[in-house]
Amino acid sequence: MSDLPEYVIDRVFDAPRAMVWRAWTDPELLARWYGPGVETIIHKFDLKPGGTWLNEMKWGDKGDLSKAVFLEVVPEEKLVWHHSSTDSDWNITSNPMMPDWPRVLLTTVTFEDAGDKTKLRLSWVPFEASEAEIACFAGAVAGMSKGWESGFAIMDEIFAEMQADNS
Amino acid sequence: MVMEPSDYTNSETNLDAVFAALADPTRRAILSRLAEGQASVNEIAAPFDISQPAVSKHLKVLERAGLIARGVDEQRRPARLTAENLAAAVDWLTEFKEFWTTSFDQLDDVLNQMKQAETKETDHE
Repeated sequence: MSDLPEYVIDRVFDAPRAMVWRAWTDPELLARWYGPGVETIIHKFDLKPGGTWLNEMKWGDKGDLSKAVFLEVVPEEKLVWHHSSTDSDWNITSNPMMPDWPRVLLTTVTFEDAGDKTKLRLSWVPFEASEAEIACFAGAVAGMSKGWESGFAIMDEIFAEMQADNS
Repeated sequence: MVMEPSDYTNSETNLDAVFAALADPTRRAILSRLAEGQASVNEIAAPFDISQPAVSKHLKVLERAGLIARGVDEQRRPARLTAENLAAAVDWLTEFKEFWTTSFDQLDDVLNQMKQAETKETDHE
């Protein structure tokens, strides 16, 4: 497990833990924030181990379907689920653009007190992934690491120069 | 979730190969070196504690992923960055990151609304 690539995001929310938990686990509230600038429709939300969350996102004429199968539900502390993209029948599919993107990501969200605030950590790790899936995810995680981001920034400048030269 | 930068959906960009190539720290370091300008295998190998054949191998992986191109000059075959696939990868990663950062900004707003609703309820009592 330890050598699997992991993607982690930490964030502190200015609200008590019970409230942050409610915003994550009440489907009406969840639909209001989950998905950047999209319409989110929650078709099913069965918050218990083995239960599923069927999620649809719509933007313009595009859409995206995903399924979460909950593994652990510890109120106000921890949510763990398997996250996958799905077809219109909610069957797990691979990413059409990146067949080697992990089909199942083990997602862990933890909630912790930080004074009056709440510290949240979200982690993504490939689950039962092939070597190709692990390599693909490892590259993506490496691409998002801090040192490499500045590398990308340098490259962006160079691309801009190259394109200017070509035109 | 499937996040596809719409501009690249129909291109022949193979992001699988791009991300697999980026997974290796030496290859990332080579790309950073090439960001400063094109270089021969000798020049690329110099700062690393690895042999020229090993560098050549890494260059092949990068070339197959469409991240670099090799010059035709038979002696030096200098390597240089090619923009398109790396730009596509950067776009994809940016979108991936923004999914959560933007969602969390929206969650901040929802939490504020919840707090206001609670304050109102308390006022009524």
